[in-house]
Amino acid sequence: MATVRAGVREPIVVVLLLIAFFTSISGKPLDGLLMLVAGVSLAWDTARRTRRASLTASGPHGDGQPGRSQAESRPADLSPPEHHHPADRAVAKPAAPGTITGKTAPAAAPGVERAGTLARHGEPLAARPRRRLLAVGWLAGGALYVLVVSSFSRYSWPATVPVVGLGVAVVVAGWRGPRHSRPAQAKLPTAGLALWGLVLVAGCLWELSSLMQQPTLTTSSYAHPTISTLTDPALSTWAGRSIILAGWLGLGWFLVER
Amino acid sequence: MNSHDVTVLGYLAVVLAGGVLQLLATRTRAPIPPLGKVFAWAMSTRTRRVGMLVAWAWVGLHFFAR
Repeated sequence: MATVRAGVREPIVVVLLLIAFFTSISGKPLDGLLMLVAGVSLAWDTARRTRRASLTASGPHGDGQPGRSQAESRPADLSPPEHHHPADRAVAKPAAPGTITGKTAPAAAPGVERAGTLARHGEPLAARPRRRLLAVGWLAGGALYVLVVSSFSRYSWPATVPVVGLGVAVVVAGWRGPRHSRPAQAKLPTAGLALWGLVLVAGCLWELSSLMQQPTLTTSSYAHPTISTLTDPALSTWAGRSIILAGWLGLGWFLVER
Repeated sequence: MNSHDVTVLGYLAVVLAGGVLQLLATRTRAPIPPLGKVFAWAMSTRTRRVGMLVAWAWVGLHFFAR
């Protein structure tokens, strides 16, 4: 029971479960189901790590001596980012020669570049054409995906399958670990983070208030349009769907590259 | 000005606030991290990373999927 509480106490889990509920009652059961699966999986993972941490803290013979390293025994909620999970610990891997790590130079210092960027500058010349070719391949694949998927009408099965497929694949890849090894990031200013959080929450509350002022949750309102209602005219055309789908792909790529 | 305009202005105000924060972060010495760093921070642990990617997937599902 305590482990279940630990999992559900994670704010992101609560947000995902709320999204799952509201999405389901808004007439999108597939979205709701996927959010529910993601929320429950994260709750399970957090609970599992918390339980493991409490077991190792009490020691293999119940003598209070840790049976594992401190990094492994920390609960997920309390540990610094680089100690959250073995996969996440890749963040603290030694950087390639010529790179600056979080230990040697704080990321917050002005003018200091991240290890990934410096590694790219210092890469062998022979690797550059391969990288360029790979980038062109990804771009071509993305363009093809946009052209094909946007040719189908919204909410049709041919549009649903590739969008769900890509979404699930990216989330599963993100679960396994970051795409690039990164140096441990310096702590960001709390006040600045809070300001970004405030903007995000304000946007979500404004959208929620419009949703609640619709005649019903599934009937849009001209007087109180949600973002979906405002984008409906654009999404009804092939060009609009292509642009918005390309933006969605670009945002996903941007996130995965962080 | 009707309620439709007020609602749209609300969305624009949120976007504008984000733009102002980004300008403050990149053009001044205010203790505000640029959006790119906020995303990098958000992607640095499994829980936050999965949360961000699920939110991204949800946007695609919401606009395109059944």
